[in-house]
Amino acid sequence: MLLAQESGAAALYAGGTELLLAMKSGLLAYDALINVKSIAGLDAVAADDRGVVIGASATHSAVERDALARERLPLLAEVEHSVANARVRNVGTLAGNLCFAEPHSDPATLLLIYEAELDAQGPSASRRIPVGELQTNSYETSLAPDEMVTAVRVPPFPAGMSGAYSKFGRHHRPTLGVAAAVAVEDGRVADVRIAIGCVSPVARRLPRSEDVLRGERVDGLAADAPALREACRLAAEDADAVADLHGEADYKAHLARVFLERTLLRALGRNGSGGDA
Amino acid sequence: MTEREFRTVGKAVRRVDADDKLSGRAQFTGDMSVPGMAFAKLVPSPLPHARIVRVDAARARAMPGVYAVLTADELVNMETRYGSDKKDRPVVAMDKVRFQGEPVAAVAAVDLATAEAAAELVEVEYEELPVVSGIDAALDWRGEPVHESNLCHEYGYEWGDVDAAFRNCDRVFEDTFTFPMVYHYAMEPHVCIASYEPGRIRLWTSAQHPFLVQAEIARLFRLQLDQVQVVVPFVGGGYGSKSYTKIEPLVAALSREAGRPARLALSVEEAMRTVRRHAAKATIRTGVMNDGTIIARDCVGYVDTGGYTDNGVRVTERLADRMPGPYAIPHVRVKSYGLFTNSTPAGSYRSIGGPQAVWACESQMDVIAHALGLDPFEFRVKNLVPQGEEVRRGKRPIEGDLEAALRSVADAFGWEASRERAASERTSGPADGGVKRGVGFACAVTNSGASPTSTSLARLHADGSATVFIGSAEMGQGSRSAMAQIAAEEMRIPYEKVRVVASDTAAVPWDRSTGSSRSTTLMGLAVQGAGADIREQLLRLAAEHFEAFPDEIDAEDGQASFKGETVAFSALVREMFGGSGGELIGRGYVTPKHPSGKLRQDPVFWEVSIGAAEVEVDTATGEVRLLRYYSVSDPGKAINPKQVEGQDEGAAMQAIGHTLLEEMLYEDGQLLNPNLVDYRVPLFTDLPGEFETVLLETGNGPGPYGAKGVGEGGIVCVAPAVANAVFDATGARVSSLPLTPERVWRALREQQDA
Repeated sequence: MLLAQESGAAALYAGGTELLLAMKSGLLAYDALINVKSIAGLDAVAADDRGVVIGASATHSAVERDALARERLPLLAEVEHSVANARVRNVGTLAGNLCFAEPHSDPATLLLIYEAELDAQGPSASRRIPVGELQTNSYETSLAPDEMVTAVRVPPFPAGMSGAYSKFGRHHRPTLGVAAAVAVEDGRVADVRIAIGCVSPVARRLPRSEDVLRGERVDGLAADAPALREACRLAAEDADAVADLHGEADYKAHLARVFLERTLLRALGRNGSGGDA
Repeated sequence: MTEREFRTVGKAVRRVDADDKLSGRAQFTGDMSVPGMAFAKLVPSPLPHARIVRVDAARARAMPGVYAVLTADELVNMETRYGSDKKDRPVVAMDKVRFQGEPVAAVAAVDLATAEAAAELVEVEYEELPVVSGIDAALDWRGEPVHESNLCHEYGYEWGDVDAAFRNCDRVFEDTFTFPMVYHYAMEPHVCIASYEPGRIRLWTSAQHPFLVQAEIARLFRLQLDQVQVVVPFVGGGYGSKSYTKIEPLVAALSREAGRPARLALSVEEAMRTVRRHAAKATIRTGVMNDGTIIARDCVGYVDTGGYTDNGVRVTERLADRMPGPYAIPHVRVKSYGLFTNSTPAGSYRSIGGPQAVWACESQMDVIAHALGLDPFEFRVKNLVPQGEEVRRGKRPIEGDLEAALRSVADAFGWEASRERAASERTSGPADGGVKRGVGFACAVTNSGASPTSTSLARLHADGSATVFIGSAEMGQGSRSAMAQIAAEEMRIPYEKVRVVASDTAAVPWDRSTGSSRSTTLMGLAVQGAGADIREQLLRLAAEHFEAFPDEIDAEDGQASFKGETVAFSALVREMFGGSGGELIGRGYVTPKHPSGKLRQDPVFWEVSIGAAEVEVDTATGEVRLLRYYSVSDPGKAINPKQVEGQDEGAAMQAIGHTLLEEMLYEDGQLLNPNLVDYRVPLFTDLPGEFETVLLETGNGPGPYGAKGVGEGGIVCVAPAVANAVFDATGARVSSLPLTPERVWRALREQQDA
C-alpha cells in the first residue's frame, strides 16, 4: 500500500479542507499526497444490517443530501447541513473530518451519541474502531501510520430515541458542540446519551450527566428541575474545558451548562414526534 | 437662466466597470505578468524585537533558479528608509527587527516554489530583545525601546478654562475605553510588480496613492519624477491598507538586484503583518450640569502604532480631533499620544482615529445620560454644536444642521417607539436569564483629512466621445463611474460616451491620493473643471459656427443649438482643425485657492455619522445579535445614490467586524490569529435583519453640485450604538471591543455581583 511505502512522507488527501490550510501555512509538509477520491465506490452511502455505512470519500453535502441518511439518521443529515460553510461541505468529507482530529468538529461530537464505528484498513488487516476511540488528542488519532479509514458506520438511534445538537461560537469553527439524545418510556427517561465537543482537545460522552437523568420523570424536566440542573453542573465539570482562542475555560464550562440544558430540552421536545430528530 | 436639469448626475447609472468585474475580465495587479518577471518571497523575522547579528544568504543565492537575495547589505546607492510623515521604515530590516514578520530579506527566483525554498535557506542570527506589548507596556518601559523611545508622536489642544470648569459643574464622569487592533481584510492582499532599469523604474501595484508612491520611489532611488511610472490597475479593496507606500520599495530594490522585473504578492497572513488599524485606549472626563449641559471635557488618548510610524502621526492627531464629539463644549482639553510597540505597523484604516475616538466619546455619552436620568438621544441633541458654529476652535464651522440629521435617523428608526417596546418587553420577560432587547444611538462628525489638491484632463474626441484622466485609484468605491458622470454632465454629452483613464502616473495628471472620502469632492471638482473647460471651448466654437455670442448657444446631448439650428460637437471639433481629426483638451486644477473659495479652511468638509441599533442579548451566553441598524450618509449631493448607499452600508458592515468579531491577538509579540479562520470578519449572515441608510442631501458640500465625501462616516458609530443598545438591554457596560459573547457575559456577571 502506498501509505506504507511512503512511510510518513505522504498523507491521504480527500477533501483537503483542513490539510491544505495546514500545508499552506507551513504547519505540515509532505512529499506526496495520496488522492483517495479516485478509489471507486469509496464515496458510497449504503445500508448494512446495523445502519448506514458512509464511505470515506463521501462529502458532508453528500451525507446531508443522501436519501438513506436523511431517513435513518435525520439528526446527522441536519448537522451535516450546518458544518462550516457550503464550500467546505461540498469538498470536505465526513471521514476526513474525523481523521484530521481538529478539536472543533461537529461530527466528532455528534457521532459519539450515535455510537458510530469506523472501518480501518491496514496493509494486511482491517479492524473496527468505536468513534470515541479514534481521536487521542488535538490532531492525533489511534490510527497506525499505514492505516486508513474506509468507512463510517452509523447505526440509527434505537426506536423511541430522539436527539438534538447545538453549537455555539463566533469563529468559523464552533467554540462548543453539545449532542444529546433521549428515549422516553412511561413518562420517564429510559435512556439518554450526551456528548460534548470543541471545548477540549477531544470530544467526549458525559456519563455522569447521563446517569443523573436516567429514570427521571420527563414532565418534571423543566429548565430549573434539580436533576437537569445537576446534569448540567456535572457537564460543566466533566467537559474539562481548556482555554484557547475561543475563550477561557470557565466561560466554556459555563457554556457547557447552558447548552446541555438547551439541547436536552430540544431533544425532549422532539421526542413527542417519535423520530430520531 | 432657468435651472438646468441634470442628465446623469444624481442618477444610479450602471457602473462603468460593472461588466468587466462581473465577467472576470477586470485586470488587477495580481492578474498581470511582465516578460522575464521573477517571483519574490519575503524572509520574515520570527522574532518581534531583536538585533540582527548576521544575515547569511549564501546558500540561498547558490540555489539554482535564484536570481537575487535582497538584504540590508544591498541597500546601497539609494536612500534606505521611507514613510509618509517619518522616514523610519527601512526597505528591509537594517540593524534590528521591530515586529514579527518584518522582512529581513527577500528572494527573487524563477518561480514561487524556488523563491519559497530559497527563503528558507537565508540564515539570520538574532539577539533577542524584550518585547514591548501594547499601550500600557510602551508607556511604562525600562528596557530598550522600539525606536529611540516608544513615543512616536504627541498632539493636543485646549480652550476655555478646563480646571475651573470641572470645579464648577454638578457632576464629573471619568471612563476609559479600549479599541482592539484590527485588520482591513482587503480581498486582494498587497501585490506589486516592479521593473528597474537604469534611469527608469516602472511599478504595477495595488496602491491607493499612485503619485505618493511615485514620489517616494523617486526619492529612494534618487530619480526624477518622470523616471518613475506607477500604474495602479483595479484595486481589490483598500480601506487604507494600501495608502502611502507599502511593499513597493522592497520590490523595486529586489528588481534592481535581480536585474529583471520582480513580482511580490502577499498572502493574507503576510498582509496582516504589513498593516493594521491602531489599537487605542481613551480616557474621557466630562463635567456636566444636572440638566444635562456639558460644561467641560478632558480627553487623553493613546494609539498603538506598532513597529513603525506608518500613518501614526496623523492617526494620533485625528484621534484627538474626534474625541470630544460633535458637541458645543465651552472648556475642552485634549491630549493624544502615538506609541511604538513590537507589532504590525499601524496605518490608515477607513476614518483614521475615528472609530476609536467615537467609541469612547459616544459610549460615555450614554453612561452620563443614564446617570442623569435623561433620554440618551435628547441628551445628545441638547449639546449638539449648532449649524455654522465651530466644533473645533479655528477649524471650519459645521456646515449642516446636525439636529435635523439626528432627528431624521431617529424618525426613520422609530427611536422612541423602539426604546419603549424594548423596555416593556424587558419588564414583562423572565427576571434573569433569557433574551433581552435594547436600542442604542451614536453620532459624530469627523474632519476629513482630505488635502484639496487634484488635477484632471479631459479630451473631447473628433467623434464626440471623450476620455477623462484622473489620478484616483478604483478600489471598488466607484470613482470611475462618478467621474464619468460629472464629466458627461459638464461636457453635455451622454454618460456612455465617456471613458475614464485612471491612476497611471505616466498618463494621467497629478492627484494627491485616494482616501479620506476625498475623491468625489476634490478629484470631482477637478473633473468638473476640465469638463467645464471643454464646454466653454465648445460654446465659443459654436458661437463662431452660428455667428452668435457664446451665451446665446445651448449645449446638450452632444450638440450645440442656436435658434432652432443644431450642430454636433464632433462637427465643431473637426471644423476647428479643418479636417477629419482633432480634439479639445480641457483641464481642471484644484488647489486651496480654488475659485469657489470653499477649500481654504481645514477641514475641507465634516463628514456626518449617525447610527441607531437594536440588539438582542442572550444573557445566558452573552451573545449579541444585531437586529436592526440605521445609518445616515450626507453626500451633500449624491452623484450616484446607489453607490453612496453602497459606501455607507459597506462601512457599517465593516464596523460590525470590530464591534462584534475582530481582534488581532498578540502574545509576547507573536500574532496568534494571522488567518481568516481564527480572525473572523463579518459574513453576509452577520448582516442585521433590517439595515438601512438614510440619505441626506443637504447640498452644502464644497465638491461638484454641493457634493461632499462619504464612505468613512458609516464605520464610526456602529460600535458605540451597539454597546449602548447592549447597555439598554442588560444594564451591563462593556468598555472593550469587540463585544464577544464572553466579554458581554463577564460584564453581565460583574453587574450582577455589583
